[in-house]
Amino acid sequence: MILEALEREGVEYIFGYPGGANLPIYQHLHEHPKLKHILVRHEQGAAHMADGYARACGKPGVVFATSGPGALNLVTGLCTAYMDSVPMIAITGQVVSTQVGRDAFQESDVIGATSSVTKHSYLVTKIDQLPRVIHEAFHIATTGRPGPVLIDICKDVQQADAERVNTEYLEIPGYKLNGHVNLDGARQAAQALAGAERPVILAGHGVLLSHAERELMQLAEAAAAPVGTTLLGIGAFPVKHPLSLHMTGFMGTGWCLKAVQNADVLMMVGMRVDDRVTAKLSEFAPNVKTFIHVDIDESEMGKNVRPHIELVADARLALEAMVPQVTKVDAGRAKWLGQIDKWREEHPLRYRQSNGQLQPQDVLIDMYKRARSEAIIVADVGQNQIWAALWWNYDRPGLFINSGGSGTMGFALPAALGAKFGRPDLPVWCVAGEGGFVMTAQELSVAVEHQLDVKIVLLNNRSLGMVRQFQDDFYGGVRSQVDLTHMPDFVKLCEAYGLPALRVEKFEDIAPSFDAAERTKGPFLIDFRIDPEANVYPIVPLGKGLGEFREAPEYA
Amino acid sequence: MLEIKPKPAVAAPQTHNRIRVLSLLVVDGQNTLTKISGVIRRRGFHVRGISVGPSRQPGHSRITLQIDHGHAEADQVRKQLERLVEVVEVEDLTGDDVHNRELVVATVAASELDALLKRGAKVLSTGSDGTTVEFSGDADQVADFVNELARHGIIDVVRSGPVVMRKSE
Ligand SMILES: Cc1ncc(C[n+]2csc(CCOP(=O)(O)OP(=O)(O)O)c2C)c(N)n1
Ligand SMILES: [Mg+2]
Repeated sequence: MILEALEREGVEYIFGYPGGANLPIYQHLHEHPKLKHILVRHEQGAAHMADGYARACGKPGVVFATSGPGALNLVTGLCTAYMDSVPMIAITGQVVSTQVGRDAFQESDVIGATSSVTKHSYLVTKIDQLPRVIHEAFHIATTGRPGPVLIDICKDVQQADAERVNTEYLEIPGYKLNGHVNLDGARQAAQALAGAERPVILAGHGVLLSHAERELMQLAEAAAAPVGTTLLGIGAFPVKHPLSLHMTGFMGTGWCLKAVQNADVLMMVGMRVDDRVTAKLSEFAPNVKTFIHVDIDESEMGKNVRPHIELVADARLALEAMVPQVTKVDAGRAKWLGQIDKWREEHPLRYRQSNGQLQPQDVLIDMYKRARSEAIIVADVGQNQIWAALWWNYDRPGLFINSGGSGTMGFALPAALGAKFGRPDLPVWCVAGEGGFVMTAQELSVAVEHQLDVKIVLLNNRSLGMVRQFQDDFYGGVRSQVDLTHMPDFVKLCEAYGLPALRVEKFEDIAPSFDAAERTKGPFLIDFRIDPEANVYPIVPLGKGLGEFREAPEYA
Repeated sequence: MLEIKPKPAVAAPQTHNRIRVLSLLVVDGQNTLTKISGVIRRRGFHVRGISVGPSRQPGHSRITLQIDHGHAEADQVRKQLERLVEVVEVEDLTGDDVHNRELVVATVAASELDALLKRGAKVLSTGSDGTTVEFSGDADQVADFVNELARHGIIDVVRSGPVVMRKSE
C-alpha cells in the first residue's frame, strides 16, 4: 500500500535503513522494481542523500527509517532540509498502534522530536488515513515554500490494506499557498528599484526554488541594478555578469558588502534575511530608504527586517510582474555602477600564494578550470564551504549545494551521493573539510557499492579550521579543542572502503591528481594537505556590522 | 492600493502592550496543541491566556489565545501560527470591539455570600464546607471578583481562560 502510493507519486529512489518497526514495508520492496532503494550506513546519511538528491534534481527526496533510534537519527538531516526549504518525505516506522504510549521497545515520540524541524508531520494509527496522508505529504513537501514532511506509520498500519485514494481531489483547509502577485506592489517595487540612486538586489534560495533566474536577470538588466546572492542563492545570478556582486553576508565579498551598506533601495528576493546575511541587525544596510522584500512565506515579512514594500508571492511570478513595470532608470546609475567597480578593484578576493604551502584556493581554481559550469559542487561546512562558495564562478543555477541554514557538518558526502543519483548526467564533486568528512564517512560504502562517479576533495587542514579561525580572530587567539592531527590516513581509509585515493601536499601535484581523478570511473578521493593557517576572508567580526568586514592581509 | 509606510528597518519590539488576542480555528488532532505550543515556545512568544473548545464545524476546535509576542513584530504571532497546517484560520482581535469573557468558580464560607451575590455571582451548590459560586465577566471584572473573594477567605477557586468574540454591529 505504502510502496504503491510512492510509485504513484513518481518516486524513483528511496534512501533508507530497515528495522523492527518498518519490516512490513521492506517485506514487499522487491515487488516494486521501479522503486530503487539505497541502503545507507546511517540514517543521517539517508536524510542528507535525499536532500542532495532533491536539491540536484528538484524532485522530493524520500527516506525510510525504523522507529526510535532510526527515526531520531534523521533529526539532523530533517533540520538541514527544513532550514534550507528542501522537499523531502521521511517515512518512519512506529510501534504497533496499541503499544503507543507504553514505552514499547524502540518507541519514541518522533512527531514531538521532529515537529520543529519539519514543515508538517503525521502520525498514522489507522489504515484509512494512509492514502490521503501520503498524497497530502507530497503536496505539502513540494509546493509553496518546500520542506520536509514526516509520516510516522504504526507497524500494524503498514501491514493493512486500504482503498486507493482519489488523488485528483485534495483539500487541506489549513494549508494556504501564496502564489499571486499584488500587481500594485510589483509596480511600486519596480519603480522604486529603477528610480533608486543606489539600488541593490539580493537573491536567495527562493529564486532557485522558483526557477526565477531568467526573470531576475531581466529585472536586473532593465533596472541596471547590481545583484548579490546569499550563500544558498549562489547560481541565481552568474558571478561573471557585470552586474554581479557575488556573495553577500558576513563572509561575502567586500564589493557586495560595500554596495549593501551604501544602497538606498534594497530588494531582497526569496530569502530569510537571517543573521548571517545581516550581521549586526541594527547596522544592516543603514542607508536604505526603501526595503523591498519578496518571499512566498508571509512570516518572513518583518521577521528580521521590516520592508516598506512587501510582496508575498512566488519569486518568479513577482519578478516577472516587475520587469515590464521598470520605466525610467535613475540618471545617477552609471555613477553607482562605477563606484561598485571601484570597490571591486579595491577589495578583491585574495589569498596567500607564496609561503610554500598548498592553498585551498589553488585547489579550487584548478578544479574550476576543469569543471567549468558543468559540475555540481557539494560543499560541507566550515572554511571549505566558504572557499568553495567564493572561489568558483558559478554561472548557472543548481551547481552549488551546501547546508546553509543549519550548517550541518557531515552533509557533503551523503548529499553529493544523493546529488549523483539525482543527476547522473552531471559530474559531481564533493568538497569537505576532514572534520565534517569523518562525521558521515561511512557512506563511502554506498559510493563504492553503486560505483558512483563522485570525486571527493578533502581540504585537509588538520583542524576544525573555521572554529580555529574564530578563536584566533575573535576569542583572543586561544586555540581550544580544534586540533585534528589524529585522524585516519585517508588514503588507507579509502583503500579499506574500496575506492582509490591520493594525497597531495604540493602545488605541482594538484593538476596531476585531478587528472587521475578524472581518468578514474567511480568514486575517487584526494586528500589535499592544505596550509593549516589558511583563513576565510573577507569576514565580519562576530557582533559587528557588515561594513566592518576584515580582509585578507596584503601578501607579498 | 498598497500603502508604503516608512518604518524603522529593524523589526523593533514595541515595549508597551505586547499582548495579542487571537482566535484560532484548528483541526482536531493528536498533534494540534503540541504543534501550536511548539511554535509559541520556539518563537519566543508567551501565553497569557488560553481556552479551547469545540467549534461549530465538526472536527474543528476554537482556540482563544492571549499571547505576548516578545521581541518579534506583533503580527508574527498570527503569521507563524498560520504556517501550521493544523491551523485553518487565525483572527487577530487585538484592539477590536469584543466580548471577552472569563469564568471563575469558587467555594467560600456560606456567611460570605451576600457581597458576592450582589456582584452577580450564581450559587452552584451548598455543602457543609461552604458554598460554591460561579461568576463570569471580562478580565477586569473577574480580577475584581477574585480580589473580593480574597478579602473573604477563599476555600477554593478556579478560573478559565478567556473566550473572545467580536461584537456584532
Ligand atoms: C555537526 C556540527 N558540529 C559542529 C559545528 C560547528 N563547526 C562549524 S565549522 C566547524 C569546523 C569544521 O572543520 P572541518 O570540517 O575540518 O572544516 P574546515 O573549517 O577545517 O574547512 C565546526 C566544528 C557544525 N557546524 N556542525
Ligand atoms: Mg579542517
